[in-house]
Amino acid sequence: MTNAIEIRKLLKKYPRFLLGPVDLTVPSGAIYGLIGPNGAGKTTALDLILGLGNNDGGEIRVLGKDHRTEAVAIKQQTAYVSPELNFGLWGKVGSAIRFVRGFFPDWDEAYCTRLQKDFHLSPGDRMATLSFGAKTKLSLLLALSRRPKVLILDEPTTGLDAVAKQQVFTELLKMVENGDRTVLISSHGLGDIERFADHLGIIKHGRVLLEGRTDEIVDRFRLAEFFLPNGGRPGNIKGFTPLRQDADRWRGLVDQQQGAVEALQSAGVQQLTLTPLTLEDLFVALVKEEE
Amino acid sequence: MSLERKKMILGPISPAAPGTLYQQIVDGLKREVSEGRLKPGSSLPSFRQLAEDLLVSVITVKRAYEELEREGIIYRRQGLGTFVAEQGHDRSREAKLNAAQTLLASGVREAAEAGLKPAEILELMREILKENKSYDQRD
Repeated sequence: MTNAIEIRKLLKKYPRFLLGPVDLTVPSGAIYGLIGPNGAGKTTALDLILGLGNNDGGEIRVLGKDHRTEAVAIKQQTAYVSPELNFGLWGKVGSAIRFVRGFFPDWDEAYCTRLQKDFHLSPGDRMATLSFGAKTKLSLLLALSRRPKVLILDEPTTGLDAVAKQQVFTELLKMVENGDRTVLISSHGLGDIERFADHLGIIKHGRVLLEGRTDEIVDRFRLAEFFLPNGGRPGNIKGFTPLRQDADRWRGLVDQQQGAVEALQSAGVQQLTLTPLTLEDLFVALVKEEE
Repeated sequence: MSLERKKMILGPISPAAPGTLYQQIVDGLKREVSEGRLKPGSSLPSFRQLAEDLLVSVITVKRAYEELEREGIIYRRQGLGTFVAEQGHDRSREAKLNAAQTLLASGVREAAEAGLKPAEILELMREILKENKSYDQRD
């Protein structure tokens, strides 16, 4: 199997929000970053993959299985790290571990012990005294120790310090080391996503703006700057999005795949320079585009 | 602070250094090969292992390996792994020479644009060599 998750024409209607139709493809063995501005529909999409709520159309396949008719089989192999960390119920770290362990026959106790050490968590630690970062690590530990085939993380690094964040990504890279496990992560930490994610999906207003290999997406766009004398305007050039203008000096986003650079040149722009962007710059430019 | 004793197969890579991370991995491995620390026939980690070690995405390392393979510096054997090619040393030296040539050419261009004459550019070159004593003594 080549794709861990396939989402086709997914639709979810709320009174004031429409997700879809959305197509997303998460290849097996990848770390896949799902990014988008607040309210874009990331959490809605993740919830639907996990069977939390019903979709109004389209289909989701996880490890080749239909997310509705084979929900149990999917849940056995899929773990979820939610941004909501309510562990108060268990009192102590050890009780939470024992509770979760009981549900999963594939639980890897040796790995769980190693993670407790690496994450500085002890069975005797009281939940009430855990920092936010420690709770996130516990949530990750409970998910990883199940040795899931698919791990879904919603904003796992919010509020983590740099050391903890690096530990998280180290574990995620270890998880995909054999190429048969897959990570789907939604995050606003775009620097991390650019560095660690093999594939990307960018969503906005419930729709997919772009999807593909991280390096190819980032490399496809450039920040263009040029001069257009005599009050000329770049007009409707496909793949060019103006971002700033000062008299005859222009700046904007170009999509090199749509031949925007050539189009600008034949439109008579002068002193054209093209600057590569980071994912963060690209994201801001893309999101700004429609506003 | 405890010192990590881990196998290091190439120099550090960082978003703060020039070039993309993928290019830094390509250049870093070429340096190891051309300076003889990675010998022909020696095996390289799988790209997933190296990704974990360098803390970068798998695709970044994969792309770097693919480029090194295209250039004949490393080769892959299905099921066995990735190895430094026999001619890897020459090839990476060649690649380094090409890079040096490009950089020197751009230096010459800058100098010419600043109004230096050929003799003055050569003089500047000599001064730079003198400042880099370690290189000066190598010849």
